[in-house]
Amino acid sequence: MDRSQQPTYKAVESIRFVKPEEHKVGGHFSLYHLKEVPNETCRIDLYFDAGKCFGHRGIPSFVNGLLLSGTAQMSSHEIEEAINSRGGFFSSGVSLENATVTIHCLREKAVELVEIVAKAIQDVSFIEKEVNEYLADQKQKYLIGLEKVGFLAQKMFQEKMFSSEAMYCETIQLEDFANISINDLKKFHQEKYRNGLTKLAIVGNLSNSDLDAILGIVKPMISNDQVDYATKIQNEAGLFYVPKENALQSAIRMGVQLFNKQHEDYLDFLVLNTILGDYFGSRLMRNIREDKGYTYGIGSAVVELSKTGYFVIGTEVGKDVREAALSEIKKEIKLLQDQPVTDHEIELVQNYMLGQLLKSADGPYAMMDLFLSANINGMNLNVYNNAIDKVKNITPARIQELTNKYLNWNDLSIISVG
Amino acid sequence: MIKFDRFKLGNGLTVLFHKDVTTPMAVVNVLYNVGARDESPEKTGFAHLFEHLMFGGSINIPEFDKPLQQAGGENNAFTSNDITNYYDVLPRQNIETALWLESDRMLSLAFTPKSLEVQRSVVIEEFKQRYLNQPYGDVWLELRPLAYKTHPYNWATIGKEISHIENATMEDVRAFYDKYYNPNNAILCIAGNFELENIKSLAEKWFDDIPSGAEVNRALPVEEKQSEFREKTIERNVPGNAFYYAFKMPDRLHKDYFISDVISDILGRDKSSRLFKILKKEKGLVSEINCYITGSLDPGLLIITGKLNDGISFEALDRHLWDLLSHFKEDQIAKIELDRIMIKIRTSREFQEVGLLNRAMKLSIYELLGNADMINEEDKHYQEITPDMINRVCNEVLVKENCSLLKVKAINNG
Repeated sequence: MDRSQQPTYKAVESIRFVKPEEHKVGGHFSLYHLKEVPNETCRIDLYFDAGKCFGHRGIPSFVNGLLLSGTAQMSSHEIEEAINSRGGFFSSGVSLENATVTIHCLREKAVELVEIVAKAIQDVSFIEKEVNEYLADQKQKYLIGLEKVGFLAQKMFQEKMFSSEAMYCETIQLEDFANISINDLKKFHQEKYRNGLTKLAIVGNLSNSDLDAILGIVKPMISNDQVDYATKIQNEAGLFYVPKENALQSAIRMGVQLFNKQHEDYLDFLVLNTILGDYFGSRLMRNIREDKGYTYGIGSAVVELSKTGYFVIGTEVGKDVREAALSEIKKEIKLLQDQPVTDHEIELVQNYMLGQLLKSADGPYAMMDLFLSANINGMNLNVYNNAIDKVKNITPARIQELTNKYLNWNDLSIISVG
Repeated sequence: MIKFDRFKLGNGLTVLFHKDVTTPMAVVNVLYNVGARDESPEKTGFAHLFEHLMFGGSINIPEFDKPLQQAGGENNAFTSNDITNYYDVLPRQNIETALWLESDRMLSLAFTPKSLEVQRSVVIEEFKQRYLNQPYGDVWLELRPLAYKTHPYNWATIGKEISHIENATMEDVRAFYDKYYNPNNAILCIAGNFELENIKSLAEKWFDDIPSGAEVNRALPVEEKQSEFREKTIERNVPGNAFYYAFKMPDRLHKDYFISDVISDILGRDKSSRLFKILKKEKGLVSEINCYITGSLDPGLLIITGKLNDGISFEALDRHLWDLLSHFKEDQIAKIELDRIMIKIRTSREFQEVGLLNRAMKLSIYELLGNADMINEEDKHYQEITPDMINRVCNEVLVKENCSLLKVKAINNG
C-alpha cells in the first residue's frame, strides 16, 4: 500500500433531484410538498412578499418580528404557550425581497400548529405595550450591532450596492426606533401579510387530508397580486473606508451587481466564484488565510434576488493588515484575469462542486431548499441538471473571460470598517 | 432507534459503523479524546491550535483538503473543553479518500514550521474576531476562572490569552501529538450506505498499521464543591448591562444530568419559560433572558444570562431572580408544564437525528462516555423524570453557595 497515492475516486456522474408535489390554488399560489421523510419531523415554510424592499424605516423587519405579539383574543404569551405545548418551534425572518415564517414540529402536530400560527398572524393587533417592548429590545440589539465592524460594513455595503434602487438601499437608522407609529405597522401588515401569502413549502409525512386542512386554514391569506421586484441594480463603485476606534479588526465587504440563475453566464460564473472564494481551498483562502495568516476566514458568494443578483467578497482581517489584505484580493482577481486556471485546479473544483451539489440534494430538507432556490427565480429543477453539464464542461478560457467581463476592480463597491 | 456496529482494531482504535441506505453521502468522523481540559495552565489554547495544524499536511500527504475536495468532499473540525472532533462528508463511492487522509494524519503529521507560523496567526485572528472584537465576546474568558478554581475548565478553548498561542513551539506541538493523537485514544465512526464487512476491511487496510501509543491517564484536578457565592463585575464599552449566573451542575454521566437539562429548559428555553415570562414579560426587567447548560463531560455549568433593560439595576434583577428560583424550589412543577418541555425535547431530538453527520458525532460521543448504545436510552432518561426529581435537583443546584455571578457593566467611552 502506497500511502502517498490517493485511492481511486470517481466524480459524481448524476444526481437524483426529487421534485416536490405541487398543489396550485388560484393563479399565483402553490403549496409544495415533499413527503418522504424518514422520521416524525415536519417543517412548514410560509412565504410572504413582505421583504425589506417593500417598506421604509425598518417597518418590514419590525412587522415580521411582531407577528406573534398578540391578538384581541390571545396574548403573546398565550400564543407562545400554544405553540410550545405542541412541541413547535417558530421562527421568522425577513430578507431584502421576502419574508418567511417557519414551523418545525412533529408531523402529528402540524395542522394544529399551522392553525395557531396563521390565526396569530392574521389577527395580530400590534398592542402598544408589546410594540414598545419589542422596539426597545431591537434597539438594544442594534446598538450592539453598531459596535461590530462586520455589522457596520454590511450596512454600508447594502447602501452602496443598491444605490440605484431607493427601496433596496435603505437601512435601519437609530432614530427609526423612536419614529415608528403603530399605524405604519398595521398598514404594512394589512397589505403584505393579511393577503400576502405567496407560497407554502412542507417537508413531512403528512396525509392528503392534513394538506387539505392546512390549505383550508391559509386560504384567506393567499395573495392575489404579483409584485414588482428590481430587475436591475447599479452599485456605487469606489473605495469607502470608515475607521473605528478601539477595533482590533477591520471588516471588508466588496461587491458588484451581477445576475441570478436566469442569466446564461450564471452557472459558469459559479465555478469562477468557487475558485476565487467559495471553498476552503479557494484562491482567497489559500492566500489570505493559509499563506498570510491575515484572517480567520474569507469568502465570496453570488447572492441571488428574484430578478437579479450581486457578487460579494467578505472577510475580517487584522486592522494593521487591512490595506495589505485589500491589495492581495485585488491581486487574486487580476491573476484570474491574466492567467488561465490549470486543468488540475479546474478538475478539483469540478469534483468538489458536483460533490456539494449531491449533498445539497441529500434528504428531503436539503432537497426542498434546493428546489425553492430555483423556484424563487421562476425556474425548475432542470437548472441543476444544466449545472452538472456546465460544471463538467467549463474551460480555463471561459473562467478568464468571465473574470474579465464581470470582475473589474474599478466597478466594485469596496467597503472597509475598523 | 439508531443502529450501529462496533469493532476494535489491534492497535486499540474503536470503530463504529452506522448504516443508512437512504443517502448517497458518507461521513467519516474521528473523535480524539483530548480537549482544552488536558492542557497545562501555562500553555492554554493548545488543543485548539493543534486542531488547525491537523490540516497542515501529514507524513505522506502534503495537503489535507485538496484530495478530499478532489473526491467531492468537504471537512471541518471543532475543539471543545473535552474533545477534538474531525469530520469528512463526501460522496459514498469516494469514502476511501477520507479514510486514507484520516489514517495518515493519525499516523504522523508533517510538522512544517510554515504551517505552525501561519496557523498561529490565523488562531490569533480568530481570538480577536470571536472573543475580543465583539461586544460581550470576552465574558467566557472571565466567567470560567470565576466558576472554576482548580479544574481546567477554568479557561476557554481559545486559551487564556493570546501570548500562550504566540509562544507555542514546534516541540510543544510534537509532544502534544505523540501523547494524544494515537489510535487507542480515538474513536472512528463511519456512516453511510455500506456493508459491515466492507467497512471492516477498509478500516483494517488504512488504520491497522498505525502503532498505538501509551495509554493516557487523565488525572485532572477535581473541582472542590463550591461553598460560597462568587461575584465579579467587569466594566466594558458595551451598549447595555449584562449578567451571567453560573451554577455548578453534575457531570455528563451523573443521573441528575438530564434533570438539570430539563431544569434549564423550564427556566429559559423559550418564550414560555419562567424567566422569560416573569422577568421579561411581567416585570419588564430584562430585554433578553435565557437559561442553558454547558453540556460538558466533567461537572458543568447551568447558566442564566440576559441583558438588563435601561434603568433597571443589577440589584433589582438579582432580587427578583432569587425570588423566582426560590418559588421554583418550593413548588412542584405542574404536569402540563413538564409535558410541554418533554414534547419540545422530543421534537428537537428528532430533528437532530435527521442529519447523518449528527448521528455519527453523537454515536462517537456516547462511545467515549462508555457505550454508543446510550444514544438510544436518552429518550427514556427524559421520560422518567418526575416533578419530585426536579424539585430535588433544583434544591441542590440553584442555591446561592453554588453560584458564580459575572456582571458586565456598560461604560460609555464615546
